[in-house]
Amino acid sequence: MTEAVLFALFSVSAIVFAFNVVFRKNPVHCALFLVCVLLSLSGMFILLNAAFIAAIQILIYAGAIMVLFLFVVMLLNVKGETPLLTPGAAKGFGFFFAVIAFAELLWTVLTRGGAEGTPEQAVALPPGFGSPAEIGRVLYTTWLFPFEVTSILLLVAVIGAVVLAKRKFL
Amino acid sequence: MDIAFLIESAVKVLIVFGFVLIGVPLIVWMERKVIGHMQDRIGPQRVGPFGLLQTIADGIKLFFKEDLIPAQADRAVFILAPALPVITAFLALSVIPFGDTVEVFGRQVPLQVTDVNIAVLWILATTSMGVYGIVLGGWASNSKYPLLGGLRSSAQMISYELAQGISLVSVILMTGTLSLASIVKQQQTLWFIVPQFFAFVIYILCGIAETNRAPFDLAEAETELVAGFHTEFSSMKFALYFLAEYANMMVVSGIAISVFFGGWQGPFLPPVVWFLIKLSLFLFFYVWLRATFPRLRYDQLMAFGWKVLLPASLLNLTVTAVVVALSGAR
Repeated sequence: MTEAVLFALFSVSAIVFAFNVVFRKNPVHCALFLVCVLLSLSGMFILLNAAFIAAIQILIYAGAIMVLFLFVVMLLNVKGETPLLTPGAAKGFGFFFAVIAFAELLWTVLTRGGAEGTPEQAVALPPGFGSPAEIGRVLYTTWLFPFEVTSILLLVAVIGAVVLAKRKFL
Repeated sequence: MDIAFLIESAVKVLIVFGFVLIGVPLIVWMERKVIGHMQDRIGPQRVGPFGLLQTIADGIKLFFKEDLIPAQADRAVFILAPALPVITAFLALSVIPFGDTVEVFGRQVPLQVTDVNIAVLWILATTSMGVYGIVLGGWASNSKYPLLGGLRSSAQMISYELAQGISLVSVILMTGTLSLASIVKQQQTLWFIVPQFFAFVIYILCGIAETNRAPFDLAEAETELVAGFHTEFSSMKFALYFLAEYANMMVVSGIAISVFFGGWQGPFLPPVVWFLIKLSLFLFFYVWLRATFPRLRYDQLMAFGWKVLLPASLLNLTVTAVVVALSGAR
């Protein structure tokens, strides 16, 4: 019962905030609503028994990456959006992609929804699921290769950013 | 989730809330008095015995002051911004244990608002959210000095957060848990300040930078930025920023006590008293630093964070990891 109420709370707030991210004109307000979306999502992660992911979501995305987003928006001092497309074209594109995304989600729900069994069966989790120790073990054994590749990718990005920033000409 | 649990939690929340609201005026009084004596002055002495009621008087004055919102400010964000650091400070305080489990009406009540099993991550997450109050306050004022102060402090807090987190990780490696209550319990024989002295030094330096206190108070460097991010804030909005700064000092001290100084543990006296003694010593240390050191320059501050503290914390973590692995503790 409590879980259902919390799920409704977090999912509705995530959707409402997400709409605000899209519809607000002021980029700083958009960024703030995106922070709210991330916080709602971390609430959902806690409901899914993944407290570690929830904390990391707040720590990395809401606490660090979004601050840097805000930082850039403020330094550039963007006053309102400058439209990239004409309103008609934007609506056309938007409708097209919305239909595709909706069809995709519908297809996933229809084909996968019943196959996994009842919700009670899905709840049976292995011991230690979502705990930091278990996530660490899995990351360094089963998923070691993708994990290391990701870290190298990030390192390349950092070095690239430094090289670009240090370059005298462009 | 029974009624008794709800009542127990509500009482604990109220105790922590009240403690901060009563404690902050006392800390401010202590700071003014101590700095006064360190600078060969007397400090506040007119209002109440030893000037004890001076901060209360200041609080009442702030309460009745006119609340100004600049015409060009972003009203919604301007009103929201001062509340954010206060909220995050209280959220972080909720996981700090201030005493052992006690028995009240036949119930085992841990003296800690809640013992989540990822407490250390929770604290890092909430303190990282505290940046928003400052950066948004600076931006929403729509004025140049607050914006500069806000940008400075967000860069500062992000830089120091890394070293702070990594210094705590080395203790986590030793204990194998993220819960503050069990970290405290593992320090019965030996405080972690002894094996993890370098981690503590790094942690407390970062903690001072995180709370924007002297000598790292670049965000409100009054000689160059008027008052930094809170230049345009008046009345209770200013008071909220003030409250948040001191509440955050309590958070940083509380974590340092729990992780490095054995938490509420100590001989003879009851646990809560030990916690309060250690907390007071830490807050005195903060004031002492402020009276002793001049403010760093901005480039020195960033260079110190990235080139000294971060490598040092990584080195400490590596050494700790090797020792833990070789000793075969886990």
